[in-house]
Formats: sequence, C-alpha cells, structure tokens
Amino acid sequence: MSRQYNPAITAYKRMDLDGFNKLDKSTEPEKSSSGGGLLSRSSIPSKNSKELDYSNPAVRVAKQMQVIRKYRDEINGDK
Amino acid sequence: MEINNQPSFDAPIPGQSLTMELGSRPWQSPAQFTTVDETIDYYMERMSSEDFMVQLADVLEMGTPVTVLANTIQMSSVMEGVHTVDVGMLVLPMLMEMIMMIGDSAGIQYDSGLENKDKPKTRDTLIAKVISDYEKEVSGAGLSDREEKEVKEEVEEEEEPKGLMARRT
Repeated sequence: MSRQYNPAITAYKRMDLDGFNKLDKSTEPEKSSSGGGLLSRSSIPSKNSKELDYSNPAVRVAKQMQVIRKYRDEINGDK
Repeated sequence: MEINNQPSFDAPIPGQSLTMELGSRPWQSPAQFTTVDETIDYYMERMSSEDFMVQLADVLEMGTPVTVLANTIQMSSVMEGVHTVDVGMLVLPMLMEMIMMIGDSAGIQYDSGLENKDKPKTRDTLIAKVISDYEKEVSGAGLSDREEKEVKEEVEEEEEPKGLMARRT
C-alpha cells in the first residue's frame, strides 16, 4: 500500500505549541491598579507586536490543544 | 521516485461530479458548523461518549496511526456536511491531540503516524566504506611523523599576520 499524503501530519507538526506557550505567557493581561479612565492604556494588542491574536482561529485551536496537552502530560507523568 | 505505469481504475470518471443535481450532496449545501469553536464543541461532545472511546481504543490497539484516524474523522464530517474542508484542516491537530489523550488514558501503545517509516536510513556498510576510504587517504599521504611535524610548523609560520597594522612580536 502506498503512503498517501496526509494533511494531519503537516498540520500537527506546524502547530508550534512550545512557541505558543511562551507567547501566551507573555501576553497574559496585566491587572492595572489604575481606574479605567478615558486616557488609560487599551488592552487591544497592536498588530505590529508579537502578541497573540485570539480572533485567529488557529490560535484558538492552539489554546484548546494546550489544555489537552496538559491533561496528556498529567496522564503520562503518572506512569 | 517510483512511477506507476498501471492505469488506475479506482478514481471517478471525469465529469462524474456533474451527474448529480447541484445541492443534492451534503457537502454542496451550507455546513452545519461554520466556526472553529462550534466544530471543536461538536467533536468534544462526540469524542467524550463512552461508545466512541471504546471503539477508538480498539482501532488504536489494532495499530491504525493517529494521523490516519484524525484525517478520516474530519473527512467524513466534511462529507456529511457538518463543517467545511478549511475548518476541518484547522481542527485536525486538536483532533489528533484528543485521540492521543484517549490512547494515553487507556494505556495503549499507539502509532502516532508522525514518523516516516519509509525514510531511507544511512546504511552501516556505507558508513564503514567512508571510514575505510578516509583512513586510506590519510595513510596514503605517506608522511612520517617527523614530516608531519615539519608540515604543521610550516603552516603555523605562514599563519603569522604580516600586514601594516599587524602587531609586532
């Protein structure tokens, strides 16, 4: 049987979860002590920065994967 | 690359897709779930049922790779009109992770399908040949230890900087 092209291999390998974890930690929302005035800094990430864009579906999939990976690590860690 | 000269009969006849009325197939009508979040919820619900888990564990136990399983699941959902092809591609890694988690929790030694088993390995005989060739080349130079030392000294002498800005010793 010939080995057919499987898009799952490429899709899984391209999902860089380690890089996502680093970015995810760096973009955690900061709890500001100041009030929400008109001139306060907005939490909308600028497009030029390397912050995560949660409107991107691939980022949301990565977030789901991160949670499942955590469970997997817990299961494999118990053995 | 291997070229197959045999005619393939396991393919649709050109124009076969036009023989049915447009919209009569599930994938020709709007998909049931259009966003990634909805599709993930659908799969989560489906995969968390006990029947599915038992069946999946059986299939994994049989040695079916995770990549093949995930691709088959998403493709069948596309054919059923559950979601579109592009959403299926986006959801694929999550499906694989979920399948692997079920396999891990069931304690199955599954095949992830990520390693390419057909990849040619460097043969041991080839490595041995390269080593023997290198050894022959080194010994073939025919230099005695004294000559080798002289050659090294000459190289060191040549390496001294001689430019205008070179530091004088």
